[in-house]
Amino acid sequence: MTTLHAVAGYLPGFRAEELAWQTLHFEGPGERLEVAVPELSPAQWVALAERVKQGSRAYLKTRTVSQIIAVVDRAVARLLDPADPWRQQADRLLPLVTGFDAEMVRLGLTAYLKTFRQPQLQRFVAEDFANPKLLDEFQPRPKGGFAKAMGPDLLVHIWAGNVPGLPIWSLISGLLVKAGNIGKLPGAEPLFAGWFARLLVDEDPGLADCLAVGWWKGGDAAREQALFAQADVVLAYGGNAALQALRQQVPVTTRFLGYGHKLSFGMVSRAALDARKAQGTAHLAAYDVVRYDQQGCYSPQLFFVERGGKVSPRDFSQYLAHELASFEHKFARRVLPLDDAASVARWQQAQEMQLFTQPGNALIGEADAPWRVAYADQLQPLAPSALNRTVQVVAVDRLEDVVPVIGRSRAFLQTVGLAAAPAELFALAEALGRAGVTRISALGAMTAPEAGWHHDGRFNLLDLVQMVEIEQSAELAAERFAPYAD
Amino acid sequence: MNAINTPTDLSPQARTAAIVQGLLAFMARDGASDEAFNQQALALFVHQFQHNPAFQRFCRQKGQTPRTVNRWQGIPAVPISAFKALTLSCQPLADTDRVFMTSGTTQGDVKGKHHHPTLAVYDASMRANFSQRFMRGTDRMAMGILFPTEVEMPNSSLAHYLALAVQDFGTAGSQYFLTPQGLDTARLCAALAQAEQTGTPYALLGASYSLVHLMDALLQQGRSFALPAGSRVLDTGGFKGQSRDIPMAQFYAQLSSLLGVPASHCINMYGMTELSTQFYDAGNAVLPSVKSGPHWIRSRLVNPMTGEEVAHGAHGVLAHCDLANFNSVTTILTEDVGVAVDGGFLLLGRAEGAQAKGCSLAVEAFLQAARV
Repeated sequence: MTTLHAVAGYLPGFRAEELAWQTLHFEGPGERLEVAVPELSPAQWVALAERVKQGSRAYLKTRTVSQIIAVVDRAVARLLDPADPWRQQADRLLPLVTGFDAEMVRLGLTAYLKTFRQPQLQRFVAEDFANPKLLDEFQPRPKGGFAKAMGPDLLVHIWAGNVPGLPIWSLISGLLVKAGNIGKLPGAEPLFAGWFARLLVDEDPGLADCLAVGWWKGGDAAREQALFAQADVVLAYGGNAALQALRQQVPVTTRFLGYGHKLSFGMVSRAALDARKAQGTAHLAAYDVVRYDQQGCYSPQLFFVERGGKVSPRDFSQYLAHELASFEHKFARRVLPLDDAASVARWQQAQEMQLFTQPGNALIGEADAPWRVAYADQLQPLAPSALNRTVQVVAVDRLEDVVPVIGRSRAFLQTVGLAAAPAELFALAEALGRAGVTRISALGAMTAPEAGWHHDGRFNLLDLVQMVEIEQSAELAAERFAPYAD
Repeated sequence: MNAINTPTDLSPQARTAAIVQGLLAFMARDGASDEAFNQQALALFVHQFQHNPAFQRFCRQKGQTPRTVNRWQGIPAVPISAFKALTLSCQPLADTDRVFMTSGTTQGDVKGKHHHPTLAVYDASMRANFSQRFMRGTDRMAMGILFPTEVEMPNSSLAHYLALAVQDFGTAGSQYFLTPQGLDTARLCAALAQAEQTGTPYALLGASYSLVHLMDALLQQGRSFALPAGSRVLDTGGFKGQSRDIPMAQFYAQLSSLLGVPASHCINMYGMTELSTQFYDAGNAVLPSVKSGPHWIRSRLVNPMTGEEVAHGAHGVLAHCDLANFNSVTTILTEDVGVAVDGGFLLLGRAEGAQAKGCSLAVEAFLQAARV
């Protein structure tokens, strides 16, 4: 077994020997990877925060949004280039770190990065700012006066999860509002954020002191307090328990933006279940399941399938099983560690128990197959699957029947992948939105939100800034003091 | 083929009596060869397949019948969650059954139920094993129990276990120290002080988390004891969120320093509502300690998804075949992670619901939210 080594993070102003280093271990078939992650003391975090604040004031805040977009575009272009050493490194190491199928990571990363090219970033900004120049200079307001959107001096990111590349979403958001950025690497995928930071600095050395990426073991109150006390905004991803713990360390005057874990699902109308379309629908549904083995908040954990089409919900679950089996040849599921395997086993056992009392149900796939489809003949309370390509198909008489069932889990809802006719789409969208759903996509596109997506229904950029307004009164009053005033 | 494949024309009670008799004889032996264990296990499998309808359906779902199973390892292992969903009993349920239930953590939780038409086998299993592994040759000792009584918790297998310990192995001075108001530290300290003064070995038994509460109280009061040689501690069940969660090494080190009982005399019992037999270690001077049981229980480490045995030395989930489980099912699949070693297995903890690795909501977090 060969052992590879990598160094994570990006910490301007520190020499390697000044830092404590921890090693995170990852293992794949025939290969091991040791990632050295830098650990700063509370005092070092404070010093770093000061450096990044000054750096962003001195440089980033003097740049226009267009200039920043151009730099991000160049960095992303390099990552999109299969011949670029950074991209090759990502293709080589990220599958090892996350356990995901290499080809799946490669395709996923490319699709994801494409949403951060110049035109897409312009759209990203335009989603939140009808007039993007608000971020550059005071702009006249229709109500009178002027306003400017100012990003924080220090935005701290707490990243989580193993979906490759996820951290750059909020990092780029921070850059677009000209914030100084410090990010905490996710232990499950500690490499990509640091690479991206280095790439950005490579493209624009002026950014060197405007961002930093480091690590500490989650729950370290001393470090969290030290850093959060310096921040204007703390943005965190994680489960509710982790978010709760983090929020307690954030001063009450500091804005805290928490993105919790979410539950997403698919809905298939009878309109998509004729003999010609059903298989294609199942293929797209299976694709959403397979992508990152359902680890994303937008990944479907179950599908509600309407009765009354040519293809019954039960048959659809067979189609879905067939498609999952086919995908396994193309994108193998990652090898499950024991705790994941135990979760999957528990989910399977629960499904098997239900077969005793619900003879109309079914559990499709062998116990050791890298996917399982459970079919439920009746609507039942919303429940997560065991992820890792375990999915439930629930038969419903009418798709609207789903709405009361999901309402109880409002706080956890996010994406719905919908296969339905146009009139159904808009009627359901209204009801789903009221129930708490924030994103409706096509099946097959659940795991690839479009550029400018409002993550969990929030404003990616507006949530980060504060508006500074020059009221008309100030403008008028100033006139009186002009040297040329009569 | 075997002694306990009883004719079906017997009444359920008569069948049970015949099986109990055969089992008690088996347990009373010095040990059991692989073949003897196998025979007894398969005979019980035939019996349970015939008379336990829920188990039979479970086996058929797995494609297994007495025709297809020819080694005890092949008996379908019933996941402990099935004790919640199914009624697992060979004898029709009766009011006279003793029913042990799992401890649900909240009101809404469904509890697993283990039906015992008679406790003769459970009690015999407990006595023989406890005598050897905890009493170690001593007939009776003064015992302090940090757990509610059997009257207070009639559905707790642990309450029954501890009541048996006091009844059959405790001296007249044995006492319970857990009141509805909590741990009666003052009375307990008095008992410990008396043992210290009189030089009479003392045994403290109870839930692991109650021992943590005791240690917290002693630390707060700045008290400690040096119990006489031969004194011992039995803890069981882990902390279950009922006390602070402390590393095992620290737990036993603190027990030693506060009570004067060496870690070699601090014994951890691993038992489950779904079993009728317990596992013990030989003290906790070296961690993690090796757990083992008597000759009527055998354990395997399996892949939880397939039920297949993992390679020796690899982590797996524990599946136990407990022949004392004559009325429910002999073979259960736990949610406990372990690793096989010489002389038994190491218990590495519960297979916690996998923490979400990405940002997709995981079952555990969802359930937790549903409980609030």
